[in-house]
Amino acid sequence: MSLSVLLSVNGVAREVALDDPRVTLLDLLRERLGLTGTKKGCDRGQCGACTVLVDGRRINSCLTLAASCDGARVLTIEGLAEEGALHPVQEAFIAHDGFQCGFCTPGQIMSAVGLILEGHAGDDPERIREGMSGNICRCGAYAGITAAILDAERRLAERNRAEAA
Amino acid sequence: MFGVGARVRRKEDDRLLRGRGRFVADIALVGMRELAFVRSPVAHARILSFDIPEQVRRQVFTWQDLEPAGVRPIRAASGLPGFKVSEQPPLAADKVRFAGEPIAVTVAATRAEAEDIASQVIAEFDELPPNVDMLAAAAPGAPCVHEHWSDNIFLETRVGQSFEKDVAAAPVRISRSIRTQRQCIVPLEGKGLVAHWDRQAEQLVLYTATQMPHIVRSGLSECLGLPLEAIRVIAPDVGGGFGWKGLLQPEEVVAAWLCLHLGCPLRWMEDRREHLVAAANAREHHYEITAYADADGRLLGVDADAWVDAGAYSIYPFSACLEAAQVGSILPGPYDFPHYRCRTFSVCTNKPPIVPFRGVARANVCFAMEQIIDAIAAAVGREAWEVRLLNLVPPEKMPFDNITGKHFDSGDYPESLRRAVAGIDLASVRRRQLQGEPDGRLVGVGFATYCEQGAHGTAVYHGWGIPMVPGYEQVQARITADGGLELRAGIQSHGQGMETSFAQVAHEVLGIPLERIRLVHGDTGLTPYSTGTWGSRSMVMAGGAVATACRRLADRLRRIAAHLLQARLEDVTLSGGMLQSGQADITIAEIARTWYLAPQLLPADVDPGGLEITAGYKPKSDHGTFSYATHAAVVAVDAEVGLVEILDYLVVEDAGTMVNPAIVEGQIFGGVAQGIGTALYECSPYDDAGQPMASTLMDYLLPGFTEVPAIRIEHMETPSPYTEFGVKGLGEGGVIAPSAVLCNAINDALKARGAVVTDQPVTPARILAALRNARAEPPP
Repeated sequence: MSLSVLLSVNGVAREVALDDPRVTLLDLLRERLGLTGTKKGCDRGQCGACTVLVDGRRINSCLTLAASCDGARVLTIEGLAEEGALHPVQEAFIAHDGFQCGFCTPGQIMSAVGLILEGHAGDDPERIREGMSGNICRCGAYAGITAAILDAERRLAERNRAEAA
Repeated sequence: MFGVGARVRRKEDDRLLRGRGRFVADIALVGMRELAFVRSPVAHARILSFDIPEQVRRQVFTWQDLEPAGVRPIRAASGLPGFKVSEQPPLAADKVRFAGEPIAVTVAATRAEAEDIASQVIAEFDELPPNVDMLAAAAPGAPCVHEHWSDNIFLETRVGQSFEKDVAAAPVRISRSIRTQRQCIVPLEGKGLVAHWDRQAEQLVLYTATQMPHIVRSGLSECLGLPLEAIRVIAPDVGGGFGWKGLLQPEEVVAAWLCLHLGCPLRWMEDRREHLVAAANAREHHYEITAYADADGRLLGVDADAWVDAGAYSIYPFSACLEAAQVGSILPGPYDFPHYRCRTFSVCTNKPPIVPFRGVARANVCFAMEQIIDAIAAAVGREAWEVRLLNLVPPEKMPFDNITGKHFDSGDYPESLRRAVAGIDLASVRRRQLQGEPDGRLVGVGFATYCEQGAHGTAVYHGWGIPMVPGYEQVQARITADGGLELRAGIQSHGQGMETSFAQVAHEVLGIPLERIRLVHGDTGLTPYSTGTWGSRSMVMAGGAVATACRRLADRLRRIAAHLLQARLEDVTLSGGMLQSGQADITIAEIARTWYLAPQLLPADVDPGGLEITAGYKPKSDHGTFSYATHAAVVAVDAEVGLVEILDYLVVEDAGTMVNPAIVEGQIFGGVAQGIGTALYECSPYDDAGQPMASTLMDYLLPGFTEVPAIRIEHMETPSPYTEFGVKGLGEGGVIAPSAVLCNAINDALKARGAVVTDQPVTPARILAALRNARAEPPP
């Protein structure tokens, strides 16, 4: 049985023929499209390393069947930085030392970008921690990530205000 | 400022932030096939037969395939007298000794297909009674895990002499039974590998997520019977290790052999369930301790028996007695007291082999010893920190040889404690306790002080007689023709930022800009031999070798510069990448161009070794470095539901000179986060049948964003008298104290109700049980 999926990944239209209907979005990205920036940490939706944005919302790509993403817009870590410059969230991860080994980092960053888009966290560190609680960092950089998200939110808000004005 | 002590951005950051790191699962080779392992569903059994469907028979391999081909079991003996040797066939031979032990491997085009085949492989077992609890397994008459042994004790050790007569009149005698749980290590990247045969180099190439590529190569050579030069092991970007990637794993042996046998590239990625149930187990100890003290709380003696549940096999290279043998020598901690006796037992059980986890043994002994200090304080009616202060090795005794011969190099242990007491504001916590909380929770404060041996030297490891003894650590340094610097080191950086910190060390000596310094690491084909990254050693050992190699390069540069500048050698100085004599100067890049491209201009007596050096390094003392810290915490305990909230957490630490304070702080934050997991959440229990009860991250609870509070750090910097720049190892320190601190703080909160917890993790259930017991037996 072959199943064709058409989706936009980082702004590029991709059509993938699936020989196995069980393929997850994570495996599709990593094994079929060569986008290995998104990581497999637990394959059960319990660590957040595989977080990507689908139609602007955060999801665990390991729990999402690729077949269910037909027509979707997928944004991964590879598509986040514009024209070589780092995204403000990525910049803030450096400034606040938000990682060590870097394995959970793509998922943390995509989750942070999604959290900011959701607009619920505001400048409340407690709500950021709650909103990021699906992403595990075994190197323990939680305080740095929380500070980075607060900082990036401020920078993005300033940028949006500047663009509006 | 970019040299030693600078808080510079990591060179590794950009690729990792963009998702462009190359971890082992990101490597794809043409024609690569995938492996899945069939694992034992039972803890202890004889294998009677395999039922493998004929249509997949050629894709399934067992020990019956590997053994005739000459594959040897993993064997990690210790030279300590009485050590019993286990042999671990990388696929079980005639017997399985823990649930999760690999018994067969399958090969297919995709992992999904390999797993489909694995599910069709059926083994028939004759089940045997399992040894699940270490104390029962150590008792006479327990069924033997290794049938030719006389009991289940890998090794018994004894330190010190009996001293009852000397403490017969001691006014304080405290006895405690203390248990620490079996844990899993859980780096976010599990174990993984890609193996292929390089036809041109005629080499087996193994990409593997490891902290010690050279040791994996040695182990593979032993198990496969291949000469070392036919094996190249490469660690790519590694997503955290914490010890789990510091050993030879059976899957590496199986995959390497299969790659040779099948002639195609193979990949295996450990899945999270395999990680939790089949392998990455650590830290399960039991203590029976009696301590004696005078009426002020001064320690007179400590008498302890310690058991470590080492699991079914001895792991390569650290062996099954890594933990217990260390317990005997480090239980006295940072304290100075006259009498000590300790027996340790490394117990063999039907559980996965215990492997080194960051803070090996040190986290457990700190948990045990610091509870004892608090108990003595309670008995003599003093603040626990005062009793600590009374017993800590004072700075005027440094360097100090302790009761087990550990050589504490430097530092002011009492000062770290005093600063922690001031920093946590003990007086205000005591006032707050008196007032009571509006929500009825109980507030408590706890302290723990430890010292951490790191960068263990030759003498320390030689005594154990295990398959690995660290000697001189070597680094190769090469100045390129355009003035850049390549460093090649056999350690492996997997989150420690060594591409940056080693460049800072080299910059400090040579002045070459950080962006022109490149570290090559983790590849046996490109780097000198090293035992790898473990035991808080890389910055001390390989960092020291970087400095040594760069100093020798600086000397060669000066000699060439003296000739080119027509100056006397003693007048030539090197600063900021520039060699100067009076008004004349020349850059390192110009000298490098001369060496490589214009050798006719070189002096006649130029060192033919050129601008490339291999330097070996050991600190002046071979005993290892001793960093230390005091941690302090304030907690609120909800006595109705047993939940603990950490209100404040302070670390006052001294790891000598810091090469990059940002990296130091990251290591401490991360260690404390893991220590909080150890203290309150993480546990891998086994049922009576030896079945693992925590097989997903919903059962095995890792600390997350909402469990890890903001952690405050105060630095002290006492340079080591023995190492380059005075650095000390600190990668493990953060994880050592948190479980002791939090347990002491919880007990401080519970003391108003007369309750005491002694076992970790301190779960709500344990807290509620302690409160129930206290109500049932009110204190006299």
